[in-house]
Amino acid sequence: MSCFARKELSKILHSIFTDYLPQIFAAGFKYTITLAIISFILGLIIALVTALVRISDKGGGFLIIKAIFRFYVWLFRSTPLLVQLFIVYFGLPYLKIPGLLPNGIKLAPFTAGIITFSLNTGAYASETIRAAIQSVPREQWEAAASIGMNRGKTLRRIILPQALKVSIPPLSNSFIGLVKDTSLAASITIVEMFEVSQQIAAENYQPLIMYSLVALVYALFCSVLSWLQGWLEKASSRHSKESEAEA
Amino acid sequence: MKITKVNKTFGNHQVLKNISLDFPAGKTTVLVGPSGSGKSTILRSLDLLERPESGNFDLDELHIDFSQKIKDADILTVRKKTGMVFQSYNLFPHFTVLQNVTEGPVQVLGKKKADAEAEAKQLLAKVGLADKADFYPETLSGGQAQRVAIARSLAMHPEYILLDEPTSALDPELEMEVLKVLLELAKEKQSLVIVTHNLAFARRVADKIVFVENGEILYDGDAGKFFAQDNDNQRIQDFLNSMSLASLD
Ligand SMILES: Nc1ncnc2c1ncn2[C@@H]1O[C@H](COP(=O)(O)OP(=O)(O)OP(=O)(O)O)[C@@H](O)[C@H]1O
Ligand SMILES: [Mg+2]
Repeated sequence: MSCFARKELSKILHSIFTDYLPQIFAAGFKYTITLAIISFILGLIIALVTALVRISDKGGGFLIIKAIFRFYVWLFRSTPLLVQLFIVYFGLPYLKIPGLLPNGIKLAPFTAGIITFSLNTGAYASETIRAAIQSVPREQWEAAASIGMNRGKTLRRIILPQALKVSIPPLSNSFIGLVKDTSLAASITIVEMFEVSQQIAAENYQPLIMYSLVALVYALFCSVLSWLQGWLEKASSRHSKESEAEA
Repeated sequence: MKITKVNKTFGNHQVLKNISLDFPAGKTTVLVGPSGSGKSTILRSLDLLERPESGNFDLDELHIDFSQKIKDADILTVRKKTGMVFQSYNLFPHFTVLQNVTEGPVQVLGKKKADAEAEAKQLLAKVGLADKADFYPETLSGGQAQRVAIARSLAMHPEYILLDEPTSALDPELEMEVLKVLLELAKEKQSLVIVTHNLAFARRVADKIVFVENGEILYDGDAGKFFAQDNDNQRIQDFLNSMSLASLD
């Protein structure tokens, strides 16, 4: 009897290392990581633009643009990510406008995922970046103004470098959150690693093992990111250390 | 450089009351007066960091009417011709000392980086900080930081350097480092406008004294007369006594 159990165990272990983990990792690199990285980069670009629009002091017609961006941030922060994914993937095909969009908007699952994750990340990260920009003392703007720098150059050369340094920890958190949130992409038919573990569990009747395995891989990915965050933080505050060493 | 009939209000508090002043080129003008009298507001108006509601500003051929919208090109001209040194230094923390000094010349004046660096090194030597070029601001003492700020301002070759209580954040010992640099600049006929509470220094450096109280100019003229003990203006006499000038003699 115990001999049978041991055989069973070694069989499972064998499958874990030669079959399950390779499949999970393959899906992880093909979908989880790519979805997360592409969406995060696009999200950061959206966030930066949004933050800059929202802190701008331009008036007139620009107020309408500001209102649109404010609405966007409100919308994506006040609705669940899963619902957003469903609307973009399952809902938009029914957005039929005669003459303009007779067939609705049909997106490939991966495209729908990228769009939703980018917009969602952009909404949250824009608030992070906006707060970071506003945390840079007003005197930095004045010092730059006093040597004749205009607003754009002051932002680019003086304010953003200081703001981005402050943003590294919260943005890293967003990125780690995004990696985990990509598991929701399973619900719009993307075969990312959580979906793969579900499919295998349905075949081998080992849900505990399969979901624990995929959890482990998520934890591994996120740990690598945490480590990267620590490295980035150190690199960005390098100036104090270096000159102390010289002194 | 001069301002005429300048009015500035914060909320419903009129901080500058129709004041007119001129700042002779090549001279040192020192603004003194009690706290909250409007000295900083005057100084900041000269660099357009503060915008009065009305009045005129003249600097060489440039004329600005504060009641009109100021053209970007005029703002740039003023900012190139005047440089501000702040009480809290306001160096750029993510740049080295050298980069702090070259930033304006390279980014605003379009100077070549190598030329800007060569000049920045001379300026740092002039303020006694040649060895700090590659340090970051947070490793400097207050006196060193303020001297870098002065070098940063000098690098733009401004006609006027405006200094708002440049040494109030410093210990007396560090204060002397900065005051020496300013005395040196005054001797070289660099036009200076200085707000200070240090009357001993004011007396030493000023060609012209402006006494501000409650948004009005109570004295505008020769420095020597201002400090003369027989000054007939009771308010000024009270102010000088309150700052216990006697103890400095
Ligand atoms: N941004 C602002 N908003 C509202 N009130 C202001 C502002 N800046 C200055 N004031 C007010 O204007 C008045 C003059 O201020 P200012 O800073 O010019 O005085 P000061 O003479 O430089 O004083 P101190 O010697 O304390 O620096 C003060 O009553 C101050 O409270
Ligand atoms: Mg002041």
